[in-house]
Amino acid sequence: MGQETSGLARAKEIYQDRGARARELKAEGKQIMGYICLYPPTEMMTALDLVPYRIYGDMREPITKADTVFLIVTCAFIRSYLDLALKGKYDFLDGLVGAHVCDCGEKASHVWRNHIEPPYYHFIDVPHTVHEAAQRFFKGKLKYFKTTLESFAGKELSAEKLKEAIESHNQQRALVRELHDLRKPDPPLISGTETLRVIKALTSVPVEEGNELLREVITEVKERKNGPQKKSARLLVWGSVIDDTALIDMIEDAGANVVMDDTCVGTRAYWEDVKLTDDPLDGLTYHYLVDIKCPRTFREAVYGETKKDHMADLESRFSYLRDYARGWSANGVILQVIKYCDTHGYEVPGLKDYFDSLGLPNTYLEHDYTEGALAPLRTRVQAFLEVIG
Amino acid sequence: MAKEKKRAINRLQSIYPLRALVDERYKRSSEAMKAGKPTAWSMVNWWLPEAILNVMGVETMYPENYGPVCAATGAAESYLNRSDSEGFPTHMCGYARNTLGYSARMMEDLKGEIPPEAPMGGMPRPALLLSSGIMCDARYKWFQALGRYMDAPVWVLELPHPGVEEEAMDGVHEDNINFMVEGLREFVAFLERLVGKKMDWDRLYEAQRDIEEICRVWHETNELRKARPCPMHSRDFWTGMTGGLFPSGNLKELLELYRKTYDEVKYRVDNKVSAIVEEKYRIVFSELPPWHSLGFFDKLAERGWNFVMESWNYHPPIPLDMSGIGDPLERIARFTYQWYAARHPRALQEREYWGFAYGYLDYAKEYKCDGAFLHTLLTCRTASSHLNYLQDMLIRRLKVPSLVVDGDIVDLRLFDPEDVLNKSEAFEETMEHYREERKKEGFDW
Ligand code: SF4
Ligand code: SF4
Repeated sequence: MGQETSGLARAKEIYQDRGARARELKAEGKQIMGYICLYPPTEMMTALDLVPYRIYGDMREPITKADTVFLIVTCAFIRSYLDLALKGKYDFLDGLVGAHVCDCGEKASHVWRNHIEPPYYHFIDVPHTVHEAAQRFFKGKLKYFKTTLESFAGKELSAEKLKEAIESHNQQRALVRELHDLRKPDPPLISGTETLRVIKALTSVPVEEGNELLREVITEVKERKNGPQKKSARLLVWGSVIDDTALIDMIEDAGANVVMDDTCVGTRAYWEDVKLTDDPLDGLTYHYLVDIKCPRTFREAVYGETKKDHMADLESRFSYLRDYARGWSANGVILQVIKYCDTHGYEVPGLKDYFDSLGLPNTYLEHDYTEGALAPLRTRVQAFLEVIG
Repeated sequence: MAKEKKRAINRLQSIYPLRALVDERYKRSSEAMKAGKPTAWSMVNWWLPEAILNVMGVETMYPENYGPVCAATGAAESYLNRSDSEGFPTHMCGYARNTLGYSARMMEDLKGEIPPEAPMGGMPRPALLLSSGIMCDARYKWFQALGRYMDAPVWVLELPHPGVEEEAMDGVHEDNINFMVEGLREFVAFLERLVGKKMDWDRLYEAQRDIEEICRVWHETNELRKARPCPMHSRDFWTGMTGGLFPSGNLKELLELYRKTYDEVKYRVDNKVSAIVEEKYRIVFSELPPWHSLGFFDKLAERGWNFVMESWNYHPPIPLDMSGIGDPLERIARFTYQWYAARHPRALQEREYWGFAYGYLDYAKEYKCDGAFLHTLLTCRTASSHLNYLQDMLIRRLKVPSLVVDGDIVDLRLFDPEDVLNKSEAFEETMEHYREERKKEGFDW
């Protein structure tokens, strides 16, 4: 994979074969550090010249090996990435950073450690609550992560280096937000599918390379004349991880523009900057534990409240989704959950209550992370689009 | 009397009063709740809140335990349907869906009154939803989702989840304890605000000591099961486990009953009394049993299957020395953390990095098991995700084969006793084969 292409074409190229770029980087002498979900701070890897490389599954590849080590009734995204690892498709990684993201995510990390035996491995415990004691605890965990990462990299992670890395990653966050702004016009200047390809590409290359890619994409998208067509449905998509364009493609194909998302290969990791604190670990702690709004973290309107009000609770947990819907003029919401994803599954009725209270039509889709499972959902999506009108 | 003697499983006589006490407790606290006593619904929280709630006079119900009651009496079906129609995905924990459906029925149809069809007197509406950050995600997401029906606050009790290697790093253990202690301190302060009463710290200390002693005696009782023949069958463990897992009410009375059980098991060891007629196979069991088909174990006992150990996660912590620790919250934290992480150092030595699965390896070795009976609970991923891994680990490391059997926590039809019995017969040959294999490899059983 040379570097001849640029912008959207390049994003597509990396998206289609992200391992190829990783192998190239490795051949150039870089070390590639795999990590699961959003919780291992990528800034710490960047600061030590390691390339953070997010682990994904492949919904187009049948799971054959993972079933011998992980039960079939668990999130197929997890089983899929374990399957790829067991088949040697992640053999270029120099290590893996696992985390207690969700229960099955944690367990899959341990299975990876046992069966793949990567040269470097570290498991980060992430609390479920966000109050001060939990933040102190999580900061402690980042310190331990720093220790093992330094010894693997054979150098010290200085505060200066970490701050520089935070700045680069913040730049990426700002660029991603800018990219999302291009989805505000009607028609949006960039489709949901294209956006997903770009974000997935970002999680496969060094941060500066990603920033360069983003700049190219933003310029190209602003200038091009052949962007998405105007469609009456402008959708916000919420839910479990979407690391393949098939679902978004299907929705856009059915007659909608997906203009905004709240998923973890979308806005979730990019919406807030990491604050530049004296001790950079403080900023990272706050960002990863408090800023990132994944349902795996427990939040409430007021810490330790002795009475609960359902609507106030929903408002405190989901008002950012209202802002997304308004800011991006979404007129419908798709809630999608991978079967057996508990963290997202429990949110569904509450979220429906919330969007109903805003008068936003919404529908729930469940799938098992296979391409084939998406076909029957198409009819549901079409019916939903008719409701939106 | 003659009939009793013929039973394939030789049940412990001391276990029945223990069970009776727990049932009576349940009735008493359910009445106290209905009479207006502050009530918590709690997830299984492995001793984190029990002493605290006990001393603060808060009665506790465990919806995770109410699930099997509803399943066994048939009430679950309508609650599950209700949960589905409320829009909760059907792939989630059956116990959670049962409670969500139950709550929708109680709060929306009946304005807070207990549904008349609810088994065992039902669960009165709570003043507190005490959820848990321990292991499974349902344990806090489910209670958060109950906010749709109830205005009760949700409190999450956290337990760190260290990796096997990370737990061995300098400082991690103490950091984890400190985090738990801080969490417990905040929980006590919250509870004081909620019920308008101050904590009596001396009583808390004493209650915690009682719980530790109950668990120690229960642990020692289970240690005795290493004897050949094994004197106590898993059925007795399951009958007796609730009292130790959710110690409540008069703790000293409870302790006395556990001591009696210890004495009975000890007597059996000294006199070589077996838990089944003739022990041919020693089996370790993983996860919760099919509650509605417990008679199935008698059929296996007739074939010589003795269930000598079961899921570590329903067992008390391995005792640890806490002399000199005067702060009851620190005692609670260390105690629960010990339950979770005590086997990590050994797992690390053996280069096994999945702590949850490792416990069974220890058991299979220590209790000299011929086979493992792994009961998959389809909608409880926490209790099931490790089973394939465990099967692989047991055969790879110890040449102990596993029989994997489908089941569920609420869909009782998934467990088919006849089919499993047929498979068990065939599995005996497998166990015989691996017994030889182990001999060849120099194992001592
Ligand atoms: S999709 Fe859900 S179950 Fe799967 S890794 Fe993400 S949070 Fe965990
Ligand atoms: S999934 Fe299993 S462990 Fe979790 S709440 Fe349900 S029954 Fe309990």
